[in-house]
Amino acid sequence: MAGIGFELRRIMQKGTLTSLLSGYGYAGIIGSGPWVLSILGILLVGLLTAATVIPNFAVTQFQVSVTYLIAVSLVLTGPLQLSFTRFVADRMFEKRNDLVLPNFHATLLTVTWVSGGLGLLVVLTLFPDESVAYRLLMMAGLVLLSNIWIATVMLSGLKQHREIVVLYAVGYGISVLAALALARFNLEGLVGGFVLGQAVLLAGMLGLVVREFPAARFMSFEFFRRDQHFRSLMWIGLAYNAAIWTDKAMFWFWPPTSQLIIGPLRASLIYDLPIFLAYLSIIPGMAVFMLRLETDFVDYYDAFFDAVRSGGSLRLIERYRNGMVETARMGVFEIIKIQAIAALLVIISGGTLLVWLDISPLYLPLLQVMVIGAGLQVVLLGILNVFFYLDRRRIALILVALFFVLNLVFTTITLQLGPLWYGYGFAAALLIVCVGGLLALDRVFERLEYETFMLQRNA
Amino acid sequence: MSSAAPHDVIRSAPAVDVLFLLEGTYPYVAGGVSSWVHQIVRGFPDLKFGGVFLGSRRADYGDARYQMPDNLVHLERHFLHDHASEDAQPVPFSGDADGFARMRALHETYQHRRNADAKLAQLIPELNDTGSLSERAFLHSQRAWQYVTEMYRSRCTDPSFVDYFWTVRIMHSPIWKMHRIAMRVPRARVLHTVSTGYAGFLGVLLTHAQGRPLLISEHGIYTKERKIDLFQASWVRDNRGVFEKTTGDIPYFKDLWVRFFEALGRSAYAAARHIVSLYDANRERQIADGADAARCRSIPNGIDVARFAPLRDIREWEPDGRPMPIACLIGRVVPIKDVKTFVRSMRSVVTRIPDAQGWIAGPEDEDKEYAHECRLIVASLGLTKSVKFLGFQQMTELLPKVGVVVLSSISEALPLVILEGFAAGVPCVSTDVGSCRQLIHGSGAEDEALGSAGEVVRIADPQALGNAVADLLSDARRWLAASNAGIARVEKFYTQKMMFDQYRELYDDCIAPPDAEVSAA
Repeated sequence: MAGIGFELRRIMQKGTLTSLLSGYGYAGIIGSGPWVLSILGILLVGLLTAATVIPNFAVTQFQVSVTYLIAVSLVLTGPLQLSFTRFVADRMFEKRNDLVLPNFHATLLTVTWVSGGLGLLVVLTLFPDESVAYRLLMMAGLVLLSNIWIATVMLSGLKQHREIVVLYAVGYGISVLAALALARFNLEGLVGGFVLGQAVLLAGMLGLVVREFPAARFMSFEFFRRDQHFRSLMWIGLAYNAAIWTDKAMFWFWPPTSQLIIGPLRASLIYDLPIFLAYLSIIPGMAVFMLRLETDFVDYYDAFFDAVRSGGSLRLIERYRNGMVETARMGVFEIIKIQAIAALLVIISGGTLLVWLDISPLYLPLLQVMVIGAGLQVVLLGILNVFFYLDRRRIALILVALFFVLNLVFTTITLQLGPLWYGYGFAAALLIVCVGGLLALDRVFERLEYETFMLQRNA
Repeated sequence: MSSAAPHDVIRSAPAVDVLFLLEGTYPYVAGGVSSWVHQIVRGFPDLKFGGVFLGSRRADYGDARYQMPDNLVHLERHFLHDHASEDAQPVPFSGDADGFARMRALHETYQHRRNADAKLAQLIPELNDTGSLSERAFLHSQRAWQYVTEMYRSRCTDPSFVDYFWTVRIMHSPIWKMHRIAMRVPRARVLHTVSTGYAGFLGVLLTHAQGRPLLISEHGIYTKERKIDLFQASWVRDNRGVFEKTTGDIPYFKDLWVRFFEALGRSAYAAARHIVSLYDANRERQIADGADAARCRSIPNGIDVARFAPLRDIREWEPDGRPMPIACLIGRVVPIKDVKTFVRSMRSVVTRIPDAQGWIAGPEDEDKEYAHECRLIVASLGLTKSVKFLGFQQMTELLPKVGVVVLSSISEALPLVILEGFAAGVPCVSTDVGSCRQLIHGSGAEDEALGSAGEVVRIADPQALGNAVADLLSDARRWLAASNAGIARVEKFYTQKMMFDQYRELYDDCIAPPDAEVSAA
């Protein structure tokens, strides 16, 4: 997510309140755009086709199908997202842009084979009662989404954030419209419309990537032959994505809290809706995270390493390190503050909000806890990103692994304890990981110069 | 078993009588010091010698330049600037408080130029991998970091921290390498180093580790040579801004290196049983640099006169009985020999003696750029017919043909070429460096009474040099007197036998005492 700092600073330059709001707005869109659009897209399809589709249940089946597609594709491509970003960043730094596109193609091919293979296996074996069309569309959807995540990561690396948001808007827009148009074909029509939109989205992204990178070769598997230091990023990517979906998956497959929707796919009507709404509430937190990290923190980060390398005095080096600490701290606290406000708003007005959206007020306690949990997820994202900047991959891996394990364990416990405790597993896991992350961050900053200078491998 | 890689142990023996510590000399670098080492080894066939060669990087050296004698039973080589890279990512750790406190005290002693030998001896065992001052502690511990930053803040006048940090690291890292070397070299009865510097420090480590005496034979003064190098060096960073620099102020990092080498020198002097120089002026210098006068003596180089004496009879002469008008600079074509001044001086010589020739007999491959520049000067002065580059020549073939040996160096100790020339009956015109004056004009009443064997001029003065050469070559009677004076002097004071006798005495004194009688008084 580097490089948008420049844009943000340009927007906020005037220093007026409007420009500040624009800055945050822009950061919010950039930071949250893609996944908010996908959530809204799915919800919109549901809302708009509720009247026309037969049976009505098909809408739910569609929403659950797409949710599973997103979840599985995210976890599947998790290992590649971070490590591929790193690969591209390194090549661009070395001015070897010609290596990027061939490796991109190789990665897409691999992803296609794996997701296609997995998809085929699953639709052949686990969906005996569904139509061929549905099964084919699901497989296509899995492949498309998997490729889309890679392409998104690619374009983020190229700092084409605006283009990403626009493409997502277009893609999901088409998904919604096409789903509407094909609604008379019931479930297959809805899924087909969705898949069409995704295909357009992917095509658009591929076009942008190819335009950016010249290449002599079509395909190169060098990325997969890379040496060991990307392994940690692969594990982090996998663990982070797995951790996020763990509690949801557990609610889906715990019989008392879930229903069978289609094929083997289950959903948890009491858990899913609050979680979606809670994720919508973190848009401001994401905006803050983007803004703080990509402007002030990055400035001090660059200044610190410049001073180290190019002969600055120790006092100057320390001053910049203190600046990094300050901005990181401010960023984390601002996220906490904003999300606390969002949580308070939801807690106070949640009841009214649910009535207005025609959702049962029984969801309220769950919604409140989820908002806090989702807010903490943004905090964790902020902390992880600082660790990525400082290249402390081991600590990041420990944190996400801990998140995964705690989420699993705590959610299990809350499922045993009963409905009053639902949602607390997710929130508690994140709370512990965030606290641990902040303590680790503290220590890393304290010893930053020592570690920068003294803990280099002697070569 | 040596810590060197297998192919870096050229000859192996479990124990030797004399272990030479050779920094950048024998047997991989040709030159005066190397030749001297070779001469000594051959001069004591009853003793078993070993050699530890310390070089900079492997790539800088080729094959051995000397035919190694049979009594050199052990030879190993190490390259101080080639580092094995660490495999694992270093782990943070704190470091031992006590060890670092003592290290701090040691540095303070060096700062005040006092004798740090006792403190150093105590700290040497801590250099082990398990000790409090291991290489790992130096490179990665928090206490090391604290010490470096403290010293930077309180002392460094150069603004760049990263340069300070790396200078300190690079400066000190050979120490652990040498400690590892010291733990594995063969047992020796006496340790003999031919310079201070890193080899001298290795000597200090060894004398404490093995409990055997250390003998230092300094040819040039290491610290002085490093100062000259550093003064000219462009690789040492100076990050002061334009307004901070004062002319005459030596940049901080150069000063840091100089003080480091001075400390190495003082450590070696403090730990040595005997300190030998080639001539009295250098002895004075050693004492000024911290050596104990009681342990210092001068033993000049000696040559095998018998090898050169026959050359007097086969000398070539001009038809009219004058000496051959050939001035010969015998030495490597490198800046320290100031070959350019010699070439320029030939302009004066050729003007006065049209058929005079100037020969440069020495290898040109050490500094090719400099050699090329010399040739350009020859061409620009119109001397291409008179000045010739001969490359390496055998002394026994060269000396009968030349009329005068010329040395235009800006720094010398006790050049063997002068003595060899004298033994062959060839006078010498030299710059006034090192012991050249005492060789040519004599030192002390008895020596001076033998007469002048040539002329001594100022450095970098081509006119004076040229005129001195021309004077000598054109006056046959004076030439003859100089030739005889040279013969007399070398036979009386600079024979190989005299040198061997004095070293035999030193070796006997060092080899005899039993173990654990260490040198420091």
